[in-house]
Order: sequence, then C-alpha cells, then structure tokens
Amino acid sequence: MAELYVKPGNKERGWNDPPQFSYGLQTQAGGPRRSLLTKRVAAPQDGSPRVPASETSPGPPPMGPPPPSSKAPRSPPVGSGPASGVEPTSFPVESEAVMEDVLRPLEQALEDCRGHTRQVCDDISRRLALLQEQWAGGKLSIPVKKRMALLVQELSSHRWDAADDIHRSLMVDHVTEVSQWMVGVKRLIAEKRSLFSEEAANEEKSAATAEKNHTIPGFQQAS
Amino acid sequence: MATYLEFIQQNEERDGVRFSWNVWPSSRLEATRMVVPLACLLTPLKERPDLPPVQYEPVLCSRPTCKAVLNPLCQVDYRAKLWACNFCFQRNQFPPAYGGISEVNQPAELMPQFSTIEYVIQRGAQSPLIFLYVVDTCLEEDDLQALKESLQMSLSLLPPDALVGLITFGRMVQVHELSCEGISKSYVFRGTKDLTAKQIQDMLGLTKPAMPMQQARPAQPQEHPFASSRFLQPVHKIDMNLTDLLGELQRDPWPVTQGKRPLRSTGVALSIAVGLLEGTFPNTGARIMLFTGGPPTQGPGMVVGDELKIPIRSWHDIEKDNARFMKKATKHYEMLANRTAANGHCIDIYACALDQTGLLEMKCCANLTGGYMVMGDSFNTSLFKQTFQRIFTKDFNGDFRMAFGATLDVKTSRELKIAGAIGPCVSLNVKGPCVSENELGVGGTSQWKICGLDPTSTLGIYFEVVNQHNTPIPQGGRGAIQFVTHYQHSSTQRRIRVTTIARNWADVQSQLRHIEAAFDQEAAAVLMARLGVFRAESEEGPDVLRWLDRQLIRLFGQYNKEDPTSFRLSDSFSLYPQFMFHLRRSPFLQVFNNSPDESSYYRHHFARQDLTQSLIMIQPILYSYSFHGPPEPVLLDSSSILADRILLMDTFFQIVIYLGETIAQWRKAGYQDMPEYENFKHLLQAPLDDAQEILQARFPMPRYINTEHGGSQARFLLSKVNPSQTHNNLYAWGQETGAPILTDDVSLQVFMDHLKKLAVSSAC
Repeated sequence: MAELYVKPGNKERGWNDPPQFSYGLQTQAGGPRRSLLTKRVAAPQDGSPRVPASETSPGPPPMGPPPPSSKAPRSPPVGSGPASGVEPTSFPVESEAVMEDVLRPLEQALEDCRGHTRQVCDDISRRLALLQEQWAGGKLSIPVKKRMALLVQELSSHRWDAADDIHRSLMVDHVTEVSQWMVGVKRLIAEKRSLFSEEAANEEKSAATAEKNHTIPGFQQAS
Repeated sequence: MATYLEFIQQNEERDGVRFSWNVWPSSRLEATRMVVPLACLLTPLKERPDLPPVQYEPVLCSRPTCKAVLNPLCQVDYRAKLWACNFCFQRNQFPPAYGGISEVNQPAELMPQFSTIEYVIQRGAQSPLIFLYVVDTCLEEDDLQALKESLQMSLSLLPPDALVGLITFGRMVQVHELSCEGISKSYVFRGTKDLTAKQIQDMLGLTKPAMPMQQARPAQPQEHPFASSRFLQPVHKIDMNLTDLLGELQRDPWPVTQGKRPLRSTGVALSIAVGLLEGTFPNTGARIMLFTGGPPTQGPGMVVGDELKIPIRSWHDIEKDNARFMKKATKHYEMLANRTAANGHCIDIYACALDQTGLLEMKCCANLTGGYMVMGDSFNTSLFKQTFQRIFTKDFNGDFRMAFGATLDVKTSRELKIAGAIGPCVSLNVKGPCVSENELGVGGTSQWKICGLDPTSTLGIYFEVVNQHNTPIPQGGRGAIQFVTHYQHSSTQRRIRVTTIARNWADVQSQLRHIEAAFDQEAAAVLMARLGVFRAESEEGPDVLRWLDRQLIRLFGQYNKEDPTSFRLSDSFSLYPQFMFHLRRSPFLQVFNNSPDESSYYRHHFARQDLTQSLIMIQPILYSYSFHGPPEPVLLDSSSILADRILLMDTFFQIVIYLGETIAQWRKAGYQDMPEYENFKHLLQAPLDDAQEILQARFPMPRYINTEHGGSQARFLLSKVNPSQTHNNLYAWGQETGAPILTDDVSLQVFMDHLKKLAVSSAC
C-alpha cells in the first residue's frame, strides 16, 4: 500500500548524497538482514598479486561492443531492489482521488469527537481547513491525494493501525507538503480510536448490566 | 579448521560474543606470550528473534560478593533443590517457585541452549522515554526549513506517551515551555555564561518530583507523576502545538556581519539541557538530541572565535599546540558528558555543515553516553534525513531498537580477571575480586554504564589470565564468564539479559596447535584495533603504529619458531597481517587527509560497531562484477582494478561503484539501451542493486559514490586498495595488469616481506 521507490539524493547540497528510500522500502528492510557482501580473499603468501584468470589483453581496451545478449544470459542480478524512480501503479488509472471523498469523512469523524476538549477539536478543524485549502489550490501532489483517500478508507473501516501507518508514510515521504496539517489527521485518528474503544467498553458494560437486570433472583444465569 | 569457524559463528549467533582465543592459555605467563590479549567483543542486546524473554526474575547466588545468575554451567541437585554457583561454589537453595523442577523438567535458564536468556522485570514503575531536542537556529534558510520538517516528521515516529521538549539556541538559549493553550512562553538565557545545575533548575522553576521514581504508582496515564514538567510533555498531548512551534521557528535574529561567524552558544545550550533533565527526570531513559550547523563560537565550550579569517583548528594546529580553545572546550563537554552518564541519559550530536563543527571537542558527549554522532554536509540532504529516520526503526516486534540506561556487570571464574572495556560506556568504579590491576581500556571496574544502546552496540572487553604457571588446571577444566546487562527496553519495560560462556583451558607447551586452531583472527584484529584507537586518543600517532607493528612481529615470531626459514601462515592466521596492514593506513590511525572532526567521527563509529561492520571499516570489502561469472570478492589491491570489471567497494562510510575503462566506454556508447545487449544492462544494474541492499539498512547512512576510470572520485577507491603497483614498480611484474597507484605508500608485499624478516629474526 505504501509507495516503494528510490529517488536520488540532493546532489546540490551533497555530491555524494546517497539515494532516498521511501518509507515503504525502509520499513520493509527490517528484520535480520543477510550480510550479502562480507567475503574476503586472502593475500597470496608468496607476495605476488593474484592475476585473475581471465583478463583483457594488455594495451588500450578494444572499442568493440560488449558480448551480445545472444550468449547464454547471465543469472539475474543478486538482490532485487526495484528499479529507481518507478512508482508501481497499484490502482487502475482513473480519476485521481476526489477532494470531497476525503474531506467529508474527516469532517464527520471530527464531529463524532466533538465531545472531547474544545481546544483540540478547534485545532484539528483548523488543520482540516488548511488541508482543504491546499487541495483545492492544487498544491498537493497525486501520491499524497491518493494516499489520503486510502487513509480515510482505513479510518472509516476502523483500521486504526493501518491509517496510522499511512499517516506516517506520508509524513516521511512528503513532509514538505503535509507537515502543516497532517498532525491534525494524526490526532483525529487517535481521538476516533479512543472514542471507539470507549464506546465498545460502554456497550460491554451496559450489556453486562442489562444481563444482570434480567437475572431472576434466586437463579444463576448461565454464562 | 572448519569446525572452529562453525563453532565461532554459532556462538556469535547465540550469545553475541566473539573471543580472540577460543581455547584459553592456562597460565598468566603463557597468556602474555600469546601477544594478543584474551578478550571478547560483546553485543549485549544482540537481536534474537528466536529468544522470547521469560516473565520472571533471575535467581541469584546468595553470596553478597558474588550474586551471579543461575546458568547452565551450575551443578544442580534436583532432589535437594540446591544449586552450586559455578563462580564462587556457594551452595544455594532454590526459591519456592522452583519446587517442581527435575532433570526432565528444567527451567529454561539451566538449559545449555539458553546460554543467553532475557528476563523481564515486573516490579517498579515504567517511566516513559524522553526526547529533548536542542536546535541550532544559526542555519541557512533552506537548512533550517529541512531540519524543522525532519523534527516535525519525527513527532509522528515517536511513541504517543513519550515525553518531548525543545530548546533552541543561537546567540541566546531559549527553553520552550510546552503548553496546549494560550501564548507560547520560553525562558531565555545568555549564551555567554555557564550556570550550575541548581541555578538552571531554580531559574526554570523546577522542583524535584514529590515521590522518588521507584515508588511511584501511576493512577492513570494522564496523571502520571512523571509528566510534571512544563518543558517535557507527552507527544499525544503536545504534538499539534509543537508542530506549530517548530513551524514558526526563525533563524537566529542577531545579524552576522561580513567576515564573521554567527554567535553560537552550544556549550550553554547543552548545559541547560543536561541540567533540565537532571532536575526533572534523573535515572530514566532520555535522549538529548543536539542539532547543530556550525561550531560553537561563544561562551563555555566555544571551539573557534567569530572571525572567519581565523580557521578552526586542524591536526597541524593541534600538533603545534596552536589550538587555543581546544583544552578548555573539551573539558567543558567532558564534564557535561560525565554528568549526563551519571544521570542515565544520553546525548546525540547531529552536525551538518560544510566546515567543522567541533566534533573533536564534543565527541565525549556521544562516546561516554552511548549517544549517536551523525556528520553531514547539510540538513537538506538525504544522508541526514534518512539517518535520522533510522533512529526510530522498529524491530520485528514493532518496538524501537534503541534501549536505555544499561549497566553491564561482568563476572569471571577465579583464573581470570577483568582488565577493562572499550566502547560507548563509562566506568561504575565497582571494585572486586574479578578486577585486575592492569588496565586495558576503561579499567579498574567490573561494571560499566551504557546509557544509550541498540542491538548492534558492541563493547570490547579485555581479560587477564591470573592463574600461576605452576598451578595445574584439572584436565578438561573450563573457565567461565558471565555478562549481565540490566537495561530499559524501548517499551519502557526493565529487562535483564544474561550470557554465560565457558571455554577450555589448555597448556600452551603441549597444545599449541589446538590453541592456534581456535584463534579467531577477525575478532583479534578488531580487538587489537580498538586498543590501538584507544591509545591514539592520548599518544602520538607514530608511537601507536610502532606499538601495533611490535605486537604483530611478536605474534608471528611466536608462531613460526619451529620453522624459521619458511614463514607460513596457518589458516587461522592468514588474514591477520592483511588486517593490520589496512588498519595502519586507515583513517582511525592515520589522521592525514582528515580534519580532527572527521577523525573523531570515524573513531566514534569504530568503537561501537559489531565485528562484521568493524572489519569492513578496517579492510573494506571489494566485489567484482563481470561477464565472466557471478559477482565475486576480490583482493583489495590495485590488480583488481581492470578495464572490463565493475567494482563495488564498501568502506562502511562510503559505497563506491567504479566502472572499469572498457565498461565506462560501453556505457557512454549507450549499449545498455540496445535490446540485443540486455545482458550489459543487467551487468550495470547488478552492483547498483547490491549497493541498494546495503544502503537500505545501514546506520549511519553511507555516502554514495558512482564513478568510473579516470573520474575524480575514483580516488576513493585508489586510496584504499593495496598499491601493489605504483609508479615505482610498474614494470616489476612484467605485465601491466591493473592500475598503478601514484603513491609512495608501502605495499602489502613489502610489508609482508619486512614482517617475515623481523618475525623470524626475533624468534631465533
């Protein structure tokens, strides 16, 4: 779901700046890594440098072309990082995410949370307004809009962790675009999550008391 | 011997330990003659996805001077429910909870496969993690913007109940009060005057928490007694306001005139940060994260004045005793570092600038506390941004890899004593029967404190065999060492990791071959290198090299006594001279061509990495890609540089991809774009893919150099390879293979020749 891409580093500020990996690629890299390149060759004991078995003839290299592909193809390269710069289009190419489809559920979620402190809701509301302004003003890129649509879907389906993860991936990959308002969305997810678990706890409690009220005195209700 | 390699590898995987010798010389005299000390590299929190922690507390030996943890080496009487400590031989009663144990129902800690085991401590309050950002505002606009964004992003990566705080500095130092409502307030301090901890705490209006940490019982998360500071608030409460506050940060308003540096009060800013945490949250996991874009130029801890025409000190200046501010500044930061370590906190330094920033003077802040040191050109680079993100990487369980407040306690059987440790730690000055009088590294103690650590943090621990020559060791006798690490896990749980190992004693006279076969040349090289780098901090460079050379000559003199005329290295020693050769030329021991800050940066990382990464730093890895077969490791030698090869070199700090002359010409001609030459396209891509695997995971992020024959950046490769061909000996081999290096440096061949001569003559 998160984007997987590599883009070059900032060559203006650091000529040897390493490439930048997207959040998706970085979180993928966790876990025990095989140390791919760690072997060494012992120096020959008699002192002469090892002459590799096959070498080009001495003198200036021939300007002939490389061995053509009709030869038995080499085994595929070790390591399978995605080619740089290519963004997998996991969605069919259709109209980009619609602003209303994103904003409406967020506003709705905010309304649900109005029971909480006013200050927090005002803050969130302010940021959603900023989001709307930036979206309408065309300041947000397509990947950001796409992922916001996804985030809202996850939020509506009560998949809090997934929504949180998308918010994180947006903060890491597109911080310049989203930093001003994303923290509001983050807070909204947290508020919805706690509201939901409160409601669930209350429901359980009221179900338990309802059960108790229905118990006929003198009889043990089978549980 | 293949079996010893397996043994070594299995032990490293299970226990996170690599010993220089895996069969131990049975007397002090013999051990000294072995030249390489008996020592180990220990990774206390080595990642063990297959080792779930046990949810009970460890059973300890009841002798007050021992207190070793129950382990698989202990003799157990299951009938009488007694166990004998293998270190002090005390007989101990099992606690009542162990009433049901038997030979067929053993607790985990007695099973041999649990030589390393982790316990979770249930009692005591769990304090949240604390992150205090100390931010330099004397940055260029772009840099400041990039830094602000990275800090805002980090708020999304922090756990919701972690505490966060902000101090900004330039000419003045501002401590920001974080609150959810009303106007944001801050306390402003002059950057010229240092203050004591008490003064800082008084001026900030801090009072010590009402209850001591150990007894606090949180009623609800929101009313936690820890969250009582106005300057350090939980992320879930403060993230929106802090995001805004960060967004509004401006460059330091004091104008900087032509020919001057900005006035930067780093010394006072750090002092205030340390004092703030000391007064509010001592003895709990906290990181002070210092972000700086230039050297301290004002107040205590200043490293250079504000006149641009007077450059910051170079190695040359230091050698000529021409570094005005160095001693005083180093002292200031050392005092801060020691206080911070005593409080159980750590200091990270993120220094991004084109010129030096004073890492030489400030390095103790990171080195003594286990904090990170990151060096970059600008905050607006992928190197900084990604390295910073990686601090918040999660492990296979979804917890942060960082851990806090560790104490390492080492116990040995009585034939051994502890000489010292080298790594990101401070001494806890715990004397005892295990402590040797001869110090190697940080000695005089059997316990150290590591305030900040992660699953790769590695200490070098040095031992001394004290058994007298005429005291026989029983046949098949084994020595034992136990490493007990108490620490705060990132989930805020307190845990204890216990590793207990044993190795056989052997008599050198009769079992030399056996001892030689069990030599771990990789561990030995890294352990000797750490000793060398430790010495280099206080001794002159040439003296360190002479010491290293002497050790090497003695080592080989020792092992070639039997056959002085033909110097042959057995398998277990074959790579060792090469490691020493490359170590001598490495930036850890050669300061030429590096600034003092760069040397400090390289040494900082060297003194804490695990064995594999440390070896990469000593002798970079070189792989060759060609049409002649799959990628293969090649000698780090100029003869490996060939026209029809692509080379990938990993020095840990740089990844270099180098295209041989013919390959470069083919690429220029565009063959990779032609469908009939698709295999050439694959060839070009292969090293890029392998490089990417390394870049994706390494901390800190390395620099990435993609160059070719004749390119200016080829110098990174040319300066590392053994110059077996130079302009001096180009025609000696009769054939022109490989590229000659323009240098007067000694080659490995010459080095080995000298070594052979000296080793053999010293043996006779």
